[in-house]
Amino acid sequence: MHKLLPILLILLTSCENRRTDQALVFWCSNNAGEIAFAKEFTERWQKQRPDKPLRYQPIPEGQSSEEIILASVVGKTTPDIYANLWQGLVEMYAKAKVLVPLDTLKGFREFLNTRCDSSMIAEITSSDGHIYQVPWKVNPIMTVCNTRALNGLQAAKPPYTYSAYLEAGRQFKQDKNGDGYTDQWLGYTEVKPIWYQRLFNFYPLYLAASNGAPLIVKNRAVFNNPYAVEVFRFLQDLYKYDYFAKERLSATRDPFLAQTIATQFTGPWTVGFLEKFKDPGFAYGTFAMPVPDRHQGPVYTYGDPKNIVIFNTCRDPQAAWEFIRTLVDPPGDLRLMELTGQFPRRKNLDTDPYFAGFLQKNPLLMPFARQTRYIKGVDNCEVIVEVFDIISQEYEACVIYNKKTPEDAIRDAAQAVDVLLGN
Amino acid sequence: MTRRDKWIPYGLVAPYILHFAVFVAFPVVFSVVLTFHSWNIISPMEFVGLANYTRLFKDRLFWQAIYNTLRFLIIHIPLQIVIALALAELLNRTIRGASFFRAAFFLPVIVSGVVVTILWQQLLGYNMGMLNRILTAISLPRVPWLDDPTVAMYSIAVMVTWKNVGLYVILFLVGLQTVPVQYYEAADLEGATSWQKFRFITLPMINPTIFTVVVLSTIGGFSLFIEPYIMTEGGPMNSTLSAVMYIYRQAFQYYHMGYSATLGFFFALLILFVVAIQKRYVEQEI
Repeated sequence: MHKLLPILLILLTSCENRRTDQALVFWCSNNAGEIAFAKEFTERWQKQRPDKPLRYQPIPEGQSSEEIILASVVGKTTPDIYANLWQGLVEMYAKAKVLVPLDTLKGFREFLNTRCDSSMIAEITSSDGHIYQVPWKVNPIMTVCNTRALNGLQAAKPPYTYSAYLEAGRQFKQDKNGDGYTDQWLGYTEVKPIWYQRLFNFYPLYLAASNGAPLIVKNRAVFNNPYAVEVFRFLQDLYKYDYFAKERLSATRDPFLAQTIATQFTGPWTVGFLEKFKDPGFAYGTFAMPVPDRHQGPVYTYGDPKNIVIFNTCRDPQAAWEFIRTLVDPPGDLRLMELTGQFPRRKNLDTDPYFAGFLQKNPLLMPFARQTRYIKGVDNCEVIVEVFDIISQEYEACVIYNKKTPEDAIRDAAQAVDVLLGN
Repeated sequence: MTRRDKWIPYGLVAPYILHFAVFVAFPVVFSVVLTFHSWNIISPMEFVGLANYTRLFKDRLFWQAIYNTLRFLIIHIPLQIVIALALAELLNRTIRGASFFRAAFFLPVIVSGVVVTILWQQLLGYNMGMLNRILTAISLPRVPWLDDPTVAMYSIAVMVTWKNVGLYVILFLVGLQTVPVQYYEAADLEGATSWQKFRFITLPMINPTIFTVVVLSTIGGFSLFIEPYIMTEGGPMNSTLSAVMYIYRQAFQYYHMGYSATLGFFFALLILFVVAIQKRYVEQEI
């Protein structure tokens, strides 16, 4: 038995999950840019506040960061601070009472008012009236176009209305090898009925058409409206007339660079990729999402917001907030842009002189910076994943397979969401 | 027998009992308890009585997933048995390179399901897939192997059959080799045809093997997950959404642990029921 004791001891100590040091733990995303960002700010904090030790750690590897966070919540091994939480998940964690209400911390409200406008604050306020997230970074979804290819067409130039975009599709579509099948399309966007894929096609188009209207208000589906119907019809036409490819175009090269497609709905992360791999002479531009022909006013889009939260396992939330504040003040936001190419979620980013130098040096990012004025996240709804899943099911039936009219598909989706919400 | 000797048998079975208690008994009991609760992992469980069961009977998507799974089984099991038996019959004869063919048929069984699925996805793509490129090259129309709701499940069934057939070829081969040759010799003397020998000697003699293959294929088919998950995500239009995939989605996408446990519990009963019917039918018919 005495031989088993050391083994049991090792097993027991390895099962111990409580942290023995007093340092606050900050989990960042595990891409190189954000690790460099976390390292720099953690080191700076350690020099300035040796009384409040803090260490950073890239989020452990897993299938997705959402699964890792969920596992850590269940196992009560959450970090003190996590930067990169998808806004749509915050409400679920808030309702489970695993997040610190940040508006109860000293200095939070005042800071938020200087950084965000009222609509942004309303968007991140939980249904219980508290705020559990610091709006941090965004990646607006826009239309990136191969300007050289599209300018050669007789159709109107981008930014597009629906009819101009469809006309560009008609002219750009080609059967280049003459086998009777299209092999050059205007665009491609993921067709699989996976809920999060709708955040990059249906949802930004819906926000663009509706001037940023919500999907859910007061626990009711409010998207059974002409905007959503028009978006479904527009997308349905793109597939019906074969202007968009239905199959993932991942042969040997990126289809946009290979000019198999001429437009894509994407975020600012694409710019770095295109600059690295484009052929000499390849020209592209970034424009707002296509809108209905009679659209007026600014063109909204989905901002893909990722925010910062403090978990309730944190022993010193005030110190954690003071650290977060260094990440999201103007110098922090500028370093975020410099190190990661992503945008902070703050008002007047494109006109703030503090960020002008960076944007002048990176003019290809300027359209995205301008777009940050007109972005939305997702509605604060505990079951938002299921809402998008329901929309995805109808999207597939209507848009991809043309088995339903846009009116029926949107009506059925809204009814199903209402049932889900208990109405 | 000393006092110590008396405890030795208990000590020897203890590891198994412990393993059984932790990894079988507890999860089963816990899932049954879960079926009466609503639980999203992070909030406390809430007792909901029979609400999960009532929801199950009204859940159209779950019934579609059950229908899809049964449809898959109806395509897959006969295909699997016919091909495996035919190949086993061929390999049971004295042919050159029999060992090579046995190994070749078995190879897909040991290759990772994910790898096989990704390879087939590349083969079956509408625009870029090799199969459609060949069809186009010989002036035949392309087939939407994975993009048409009426075709996609057939494509998946063929792929799964291709992957697993080697295992069943080996099982049938073992079954065929246990049939005494004297029976065939006697049948030859009576002037029996090849079909008659197969129908009245081979089939009854390998009945236990057929039953094993049917049961294994059924259970394997009921657990269909990787292939539609990777190739189609359950689409197009939920036509390849399997029951296991739906249970997984409820548990790990929506975190409806209680409802997911209810679906799992019901599904396990369904498998038990189907296997019991198969046992009866196979034993009587052949």
